[in-house]
Amino acid sequence: MTPVPAAASAAPEQARLSHHREQVMGTVVTIDFFGEADAFTRTELYVRVARARAVLRRADAVFSTYKEHSPINQLRRGEITAAQAPPEVAEVLERCARARTLSDGWFDPWAMPGGFDPTGYVKGWAAQRALNALSMTGVTGAIVNAAGDVVASGSPSLGRAFRVAIVDPSDRLRMACAVELAGGIATSGTYERGGHLIDPRTGQPAARAASASVTGPDLGLADALATALAVAGPAGLDFIEPIEGYEGFVIGHDGSWQFTANFPFALT
Amino acid sequence: MRRARVVVIATIAGLAGVLSFHTKPVSLNLGPAVGPATAGGPPTSAPNPTTTSAGSSGTPGTTSPPTTPTATRTATGDAINYNYGVVSIAATVSGTKLTNVTVASIDDGGNFRSQSIDQQAVPVLEQEALQAQSANIQSVSGASYTSAGFEQSLQSALTQLGFK
Repeated sequence: MTPVPAAASAAPEQARLSHHREQVMGTVVTIDFFGEADAFTRTELYVRVARARAVLRRADAVFSTYKEHSPINQLRRGEITAAQAPPEVAEVLERCARARTLSDGWFDPWAMPGGFDPTGYVKGWAAQRALNALSMTGVTGAIVNAAGDVVASGSPSLGRAFRVAIVDPSDRLRMACAVELAGGIATSGTYERGGHLIDPRTGQPAARAASASVTGPDLGLADALATALAVAGPAGLDFIEPIEGYEGFVIGHDGSWQFTANFPFALT
Repeated sequence: MRRARVVVIATIAGLAGVLSFHTKPVSLNLGPAVGPATAGGPPTSAPNPTTTSAGSSGTPGTTSPPTTPTATRTATGDAINYNYGVVSIAATVSGTKLTNVTVASIDDGGNFRSQSIDQQAVPVLEQEALQAQSANIQSVSGASYTSAGFEQSLQSALTQLGFK
């Protein structure tokens, strides 16, 4: 071990010691470790992320709506029941039902035009499970970023919180603001994939916010709530506020900001 | 078969974006922006010297030195094989600030699935680019989608421009 106190004091902001990219779920998931530079070798990195990779690949195999024979598609076509599906399916169904209740029905995978579609929950859920599967021995922290849904454990360096930027929907090369992350943050909006947000009350594309972010201890639920908040718009902050541990932030189509009382803005 | 789009088109579009960025008045109520977005060049100064270099080549034959902090430079990343074809990403820097990320060229053989991915890919690249500009943040949250090939090409463009 070679301690690097001089470097730490000269550049205290972060000590990212690895940046791993995993192409899965039709996108890229990045896994970053933080800590002392020589905490592990490149070979050991692959051992550390092996279980997380398996978790992500498994989630993709079970829940991909692009794979014809995935269990979720078999379920959608009525070829199997939830009881016959892999055990993760029952878990996701239950959690989606909870998210639907918590969001006043603004998140509703059962109301999607093509049939049951839990995509708004699964990406965050899978990233959360991947983080939980990482080996954290000897590192100060880790971040999993599943195409913009971010979950962290630990810290970038001693005494510091992870800071995560939220993209400005009107200029994606700028950050609108940053949050101090304890747990996860999911952001939803139409600026990235056009009209993919469906209003469950009408079955039509709708987004009453340019960007909606939700923070909280579980990234799966945060992901579902961010989807709901993007569809509902600023009025949706009313269903976020009473959910213990979760906070919401909305950027309106007019550029205005609205957020719940304890949204964890980072002062930079 | 679709032909690959041409690098020059993307670069010109990128520069147009950069130039209008400095002259266009800000009309949206964006709240207090933080981070590198506020560190752009002075908006009222004389027009910036603009140089463009494509590919991994060095400085173009202009009189102004390329190290001028306000110079605008574009680099095109390596052509990378990805699931559906070959892609190359271009990044544009104005001074020390990254101002544009575009798909410089792509040859996907007309694959429909690929085309939907192409349209969705740039936001994630922009997130990577945004993160590369700030030592004070560890990650970026935003709705997005990309492929590893796109990121790899962007990384090579950023490296040429002196990021990371």
